Amino acid sequence: MSILSEIFSWWGGNTWGTRITLMCQGRFVGEDDDGNKYYEQRSGVGSMGMPRRWVTYKHQADPTRVPPEWHGWLHHTVNTPPTEEDYRPKPWQQEHRANMTGTAAAYRPSGSILTSDERPHATGDYQAWKPD
Amino acid sequence: MSRKLLIDDVEIEVEDGLTLLQACELAGREVPRFCYHERLSIAGNCRMCLVQVDGMPKPVASCAMGVNDLRPTRDGTPNRVDTRTPLVKKAREGVMEFLLINHPLDCPICDQGGECDLQDQAMAYGGGGSRYDENKRAVDEKHLGPLIKTHMTRCIQCTRCVRFMTEIAGVEELGAAGRGEDMEITTYLEEGMLSELSANVVDLCPVGALTHRPWAHNARPWELRKTESIDAMDAVGSAIRVDTRGREVMRILPRTNEDVNEEWISDKTRHVADGLRTQRLDQPYVRINGKLQPASWDQALDAVADRLTATPANNIGAITGDLAGCEEVFALKDLMNRLDVVNLDCRADGEAINADHGRAGYLFNSSIAGLDEADAILLIGANPRTEAAVMNARILLSWRNSDLRIGVVGPAEDLGYDYDHIGASAADLARLADGSHPFAEVLKSAKRPMVIVGSAATARDDGASVYATAARIADAAMAGKDATWNAFNILHTAAGRVGAMDLGFLPSTNADQSASELDTVFLLGCDAPSISNLQAKFVVYLGTHGDIGAHKADVILPGATYTEKSVTYVNMEGRAQLTAKAAFAPGDAREDWKVIRALSDRVDKTLPYDDLEALRAAMYVAAPHLAQIGHLTPADAKATASLAKSDNGQLSDAPFEPAIDDFYLSNPIARASAVMAELSALRQTATKRTEAAE
Repeated sequence: MSILSEIFSWWGGNTWGTRITLMCQGRFVGEDDDGNKYYEQRSGVGSMGMPRRWVTYKHQADPTRVPPEWHGWLHHTVNTPPTEEDYRPKPWQQEHRANMTGTAAAYRPSGSILTSDERPHATGDYQAWKPD
Repeated sequence: MSRKLLIDDVEIEVEDGLTLLQACELAGREVPRFCYHERLSIAGNCRMCLVQVDGMPKPVASCAMGVNDLRPTRDGTPNRVDTRTPLVKKAREGVMEFLLINHPLDCPICDQGGECDLQDQAMAYGGGGSRYDENKRAVDEKHLGPLIKTHMTRCIQCTRCVRFMTEIAGVEELGAAGRGEDMEITTYLEEGMLSELSANVVDLCPVGALTHRPWAHNARPWELRKTESIDAMDAVGSAIRVDTRGREVMRILPRTNEDVNEEWISDKTRHVADGLRTQRLDQPYVRINGKLQPASWDQALDAVADRLTATPANNIGAITGDLAGCEEVFALKDLMNRLDVVNLDCRADGEAINADHGRAGYLFNSSIAGLDEADAILLIGANPRTEAAVMNARILLSWRNSDLRIGVVGPAEDLGYDYDHIGASAADLARLADGSHPFAEVLKSAKRPMVIVGSAATARDDGASVYATAARIADAAMAGKDATWNAFNILHTAAGRVGAMDLGFLPSTNADQSASELDTVFLLGCDAPSISNLQAKFVVYLGTHGDIGAHKADVILPGATYTEKSVTYVNMEGRAQLTAKAAFAPGDAREDWKVIRALSDRVDKTLPYDDLEALRAAMYVAAPHLAQIGHLTPADAKATASLAKSDNGQLSDAPFEPAIDDFYLSNPIARASAVMAELSALRQTATKRTEAAE
């Protein structure tokens, strides 16, 4: 996010308000593979009675871009951020993917006319003879 | 003798020998039933048809109780039968509750849903609920072959399927093992049923225990459009109902026609449906530089028209195929006559059958219903089991119920009934003709003898002699008997053959070219194996499937199958029947007569009819009996006598070959069907196994 868009727009990414809040109160904790940065309140507690935790996004602000290991820390499920432990995903875990809705990689159920797969058989289909 | 009964206060008089259930139906009362079926023996094991009879301590099963079994009342008044009393209602509710004890509640996933007797009768006669709290019985699925899907937990043991296979199909392959709650319907060896009529058990099954495997979970009965039509898989002309959804034929079911198929159809008739959507010709093709190229109708018709106008008429020939309906045959004949073409033929296999002696020379004169009355049958080179499977069931039933004697000249195949095997070759016919064989005496003493000649038996070098000798045997058997009975019968295998012969699609007397010398040949859906040897330089194929004819063709014109057009088929006994258009032909394919009409325009010999009505009007002028839809038009029996005198050539001692090598693959639609291919493979392995065991 450029500094100009941070000043003149408040949609889509971090605002200068976020920047000031993090400068005053935030302590940098770590960064995930996507480049999103995580912060924690330096002192005091938030309205929940514990130190606030923040994420600033590398690209568009999209909560589904937070990978599961950071999601746990961000939501106070765990207290140790993945950078401070030897975090390894379980073997059965799939690689994290953000929500692709609205993009070309969006999920299409089988039978959708937008899939590139072969259309399933429908009533009225016939197989035409072709000379070899 | 008749007997008076008082059924629900209605006094009726019924004939002796009827059952109480039939008497109740005559009185207009509906009696629920599962095991009882008009065409099968009486089992009396479902107990659903209970009625109250005055003087009986308990309700009685009306299907198994004859009216003659009732003891006369003391004062001579008619016996009283009640079907609507509280006792009967309670009894039926009780029976229904017992039947539903072990029946799963899986109607939403059952293919029978919507056409299920148990579902309907549970609604009409069942109680509101069940008092049964224990576990339900579960039964293993049985393997009954590729046509029948089983879900034996749903079975209510009515044994209709067992009785059908034994009594109608003539193969004792199904049976009931175990007693009481442990009773199961099974094939013992679980090898799949090998009968041409096996799929009829699914129609008989009152629940969803037996369902059609090829259509499993494809459609619900209420979403299908039903069209009543006629089958074209064999020359019997069975009445069928074609169920379509949109433009696809989803299934084919039998209709009742007492004179033809009763209510059975063969497996081929029923399950050929998937062949209607595979290997279809859906656009015209023209052969350019040795390769078939897709073409427009204009290009294809122009190519044919150019060729027809440029070729001398005596070098042009036309052959119609097994599935050609009367309308297109008539239009093609009309067009060919206008082009002065005389080399026409509808007997692609080379049968010696002809129309020179009148219609009786090529019809099944005794009629299919006549099989019930016949008391001696001689089969010459005919295997009714493969050539007319439904008809064979009729012979079998007649054989079981009467003293019918059957003699066979030809291969000694398993037909389901016992017969005297007279010989394998045509030379054995001579012994019947001169009366030296004992079976000649059987024919002579029979009141209603029948001589059935397979059409393929005449498709050999001595075919004309076989044809004439058979007529001579029939003529001798008829001597001095009922003049309305004609014993001479031709067993055709092709639905379109009799219609084409009625319309005279035969070489005229001055036709001097044999098929091998023709320059240009027009094939109307002809896929006979002999076509692959055709030497013609230019072949036009008007048909539906990419089969023998299409591979041979220089121009392919796509046509419509029997479910996609309304045409007249004349069955082997001479009964004209109309098919109905159940779906549209795929792609650019058109109804065959329209293609011929369009072609006639291009060769400047425009046919004078623009719609089907006008075409039919012209056709009925040429062959008036075709207008008698559904009626049998008997032929003059004098033909047999004149035919008997016709040819007296040598009969060779070459054995008769089977007319149909493979029942399941006898026409282009069946050859395109995956279900038929599977059945054919199954039959071959089974035959090999039997041969190995012997």
